[in-house]
Amino acid sequence: MKSFSTSSPAPTERRRFLAGLLALAAASSATWAQGRGMTPLPAAAAAPALRLRDADDRPVDLARYRGRVVLVNFWATWCPPCRKEFPSLARVRKLFKPDEFEVVAVNVGEDPETAFSFTGITDFPVVFDRAAQTMADWKVRALPTTFLVDRQGRLAYRATGGREFDDPDIVALIRALAAVE
Amino acid sequence: MKIARLFLLAGLLAGTAAAQDGMEMRHLVRNDTIVLGANPLTSASRTAFYTARGFPAAAIRPYAEACGFSFGMQNAGASGIRTRLADWHVVGADGRRIAFRPPEAWDIDWGKAGLPPAARIAFRWAQFQSENLFEPGDWIMGMATLEMRPAVPFRLVARYRDEKGNHEIVLDQLACAD
Repeated sequence: MKSFSTSSPAPTERRRFLAGLLALAAASSATWAQGRGMTPLPAAAAAPALRLRDADDRPVDLARYRGRVVLVNFWATWCPPCRKEFPSLARVRKLFKPDEFEVVAVNVGEDPETAFSFTGITDFPVVFDRAAQTMADWKVRALPTTFLVDRQGRLAYRATGGREFDDPDIVALIRALAAVE
Repeated sequence: MKIARLFLLAGLLAGTAAAQDGMEMRHLVRNDTIVLGANPLTSASRTAFYTARGFPAAAIRPYAEACGFSFGMQNAGASGIRTRLADWHVVGADGRRIAFRPPEAWDIDWGKAGLPPAARIAFRWAQFQSENLFEPGDWIMGMATLEMRPAVPFRLVARYRDEKGNHEIVLDQLACAD
């Protein structure tokens, strides 16, 4: 068994409470980088059903986006990497035509008011999985988790942990999926 | 709903621009495959976090007062890795080995206490999961608590498995936060 060891001294602590989020952010010496890329899902299985309601109680069904590439992002406001990556969802959406790409953000376990206090108004659907049942159906193991669904409604890629979705490598994946007939 | 949202948005614009992103780590170790970070969590911060998500303060007290950390772990290698929290432990200054309490054990307590589903969902997904699979580039954050307080300073031994076998990575000079 290989073993690696080191330690870092505790620098000056900066503690500031903000809506409980700081349970994950008490002190600092090293900034955590976002993850990179997305993992291909070779089985090309059909995406599980995703039928949820948005903040105005309107139904949103993933099936309505068949023919487009869809980025499905599972998130919560209390999740630091979810918060960090969220602005990149809007940025990547703007790189594509509405008829070729869509983003669907699935908030897990929270109410619309809580989510809106973070998101504000978005250009893409934010839907609510209050009981985390859809998250279970999609076999999500951690937050955030993001999937790319191809134009035929199949799971194509997955990312666990935060990303910057307008990263050129991820944009290239989306472009490639959008180009497939 | 829309008027309420406008008020919320005004508050958002006025008050939260400087929100921390929670992605800084006080202790950090890395090798060719893994980056592992840890932040000791105070009782006050955990109480604030979970009471804001539906936990009565009395219910969350045992968890908040346990020695706990927020961990961040990233797969910086080229193949998938797996972790089991049951394979992690700390070694106190007195040489005593102490395990982590599984999130499922806490959830049994929350079920017995009749806590609301939304609170239990937030708790479940805020924890470092009992088992994780990290594909290349993936990373996961989550909280975990020890079964008891170790003698300080203590060291964390975090084991993981990849295609080449079992490995471990160690964080030294750790202490619980008050």
